[in-house]
Amino acid sequence: MNIYFKAEDLAVGYNGNALISDINIELEQGKILTMIGPNGAGKSTILKSVTGQLELVGGTVFLENMKLGDINPKTLAQNMAVVLTERIRPELMTCAELVAMGRYPYTNMFGKLTAEDEEAVREALERVHGMSLKDRDFMTLSDGQKQRIMLARAICQEPKVLILDEPTAYLDIRYKVELLEILKELANSRGTTIIMSLHEIELALKVSDYIMCVNGDKIAAYGTPEEVMAKTSIAKLYDMDQAAFEKWFPHLMH
Amino acid sequence: MGNSQNLPANGTENLRFGNTARFTAVMVIFCVLFLAGIILNINIGSVSIGTGDIFSMLWKGCKYGIANIFTGGAYSEKLSDLMRASTENQIIFSIRLPRMILAAILGGALSVSGYLLQVFFRNPIAGPFVLGISSGAKMVVGITMIFLAPVIGSLSSISIILAAFLGSLLITSVVLVFAKNVRSMSMLLVIGIMVGYICSAVTDFCINFANDHDVVNLKNWSMGSFSGANWGYVEAALLMCIPGVIMALLLSKPISAYALGEGYARSMGIKIKPFRVILILLSSLLSSCVTALAGPISFVGIAVPHIARSLLKSSKPLFVIPATFVSGAVFCMFCDLIARTVFAPTELTIGTVTSIFGAPIVIYMMIKRRSGRED
Repeated sequence: MNIYFKAEDLAVGYNGNALISDINIELEQGKILTMIGPNGAGKSTILKSVTGQLELVGGTVFLENMKLGDINPKTLAQNMAVVLTERIRPELMTCAELVAMGRYPYTNMFGKLTAEDEEAVREALERVHGMSLKDRDFMTLSDGQKQRIMLARAICQEPKVLILDEPTAYLDIRYKVELLEILKELANSRGTTIIMSLHEIELALKVSDYIMCVNGDKIAAYGTPEEVMAKTSIAKLYDMDQAAFEKWFPHLMH
Repeated sequence: MGNSQNLPANGTENLRFGNTARFTAVMVIFCVLFLAGIILNINIGSVSIGTGDIFSMLWKGCKYGIANIFTGGAYSEKLSDLMRASTENQIIFSIRLPRMILAAILGGALSVSGYLLQVFFRNPIAGPFVLGISSGAKMVVGITMIFLAPVIGSLSSISIILAAFLGSLLITSVVLVFAKNVRSMSMLLVIGIMVGYICSAVTDFCINFANDHDVVNLKNWSMGSFSGANWGYVEAALLMCIPGVIMALLLSKPISAYALGEGYARSMGIKIKPFRVILILLSSLLSSCVTALAGPISFVGIAVPHIARSLLKSSKPLFVIPATFVSGAVFCMFCDLIARTVFAPTELTIGTVTSIFGAPIVIYMMIKRRSGRED
């Protein structure tokens, strides 16, 4: 399989100071990589760096052999979409309009939607089971609904790689599972490469092709879920008391 | 919670992106009001002129004016004859018409300027007046009038606009420095008002050192009024504001994406830094035109975009910008009409009238935002 997304000797951090270094990632099309690790470990920092929101301290990110820094903003937007943790408050905007914002890199200078664009909006809404929300004002939705619409916006951008920062935060268990199923389906049917961070370890192990454990100034572990589980202790990753961990998560022991 | 959101999707349902019919209706209503405003503004005053006469005079004026432009000045004599034909003609063409056109253009420009600031700060209560930007423009214009005018003689309207533009940019950058450290929109407002007071204090301070002649000029202007309108002003306003508003319209696509926050905007391909710079320059250009030509006018920049958005029930910039411009033009035409006629022969300042209508809208918006807040 072709490597679509590649990070080479990445160092990420703020103002030129590396927080985490020696990050190496290689992802084929349609694979899901999930980052796990304690709060403040730097999962968001890595995600912000590989999307170009944050300047790289060192190393290179490649999308299909193109260097991230060399890709013009419009082309990048046609290849990479994001779902962020920042909560948006657009005024007087319906869900259909919001999802249609995903067509931004494809529309003309006034943002006119063609039939093709509308079809993409419809497909994205259907994928997240959000057709019935299309005319609702975004601000009146529940957190779970909002997150699905934000995901539809990103899907509508038709990216080859989709990057999500804690997409399941604030969602109840049903919506968490629903969201991950949508992502899995997207990876399978469209071959979208997905990179995300999750707090739910059990779900991460189930949905992902690769797991990256982030803690400290180097990557603690990286590999398939089985590999990672075999060689790392989740208790240690989260700096948890071993006894407490065994009591609460016996199924995650090896 | 109900399960209604999970009903099976109906594939034949149409998607709607912005209510075009509503937009058309709003624009038609404002155009009708605009025409009514023209008639009333020309008709009402110490000398009243019949509606029929107004139209025949305007028609001739338009005809000669356009012919004059296309023939390169061949009709200028006919035009000036028409303007001087009778007292009524003189009143219309040299007093009421330029004043009305100026009020319309500047009202629209000021509203669009406020809208751009609201986009920039993602805050519906931002505007050139409440953020102190108008006061900053006034300060620099005041200083220019007092200390520079005696040296270089009289000031042209373009140089006053330039001074106001510099003042606007100066105060905008001061507000930006503070805005970096505050997240809450009411704090931004407080800072803007305080900065505005400082600018007014500096202006007053300078007035103390000015000679009486300059102060009279400055006093009249700084109260805010369209009474000084002449065709030169109209020309300057047209040259600066219309391209400015068109530029804003051309930005409507990135503006709509910017509403989702910087992170998302960047991920969709917007170059954030240049975009923000253009927003500020454009907004400052529009508001400084207004301040230079008519003095500081309060609350129009907040109230009008709010009215436009509420009537459209949409925040789609391609709809909101034209609607804001037209409703701003109508709003200021009627406010000016009230200012000059209600207590005639005493004329109110335009700011007095706009505040009475505008300030309650701002209070209403603040209360509504507070109660509708989730976090």
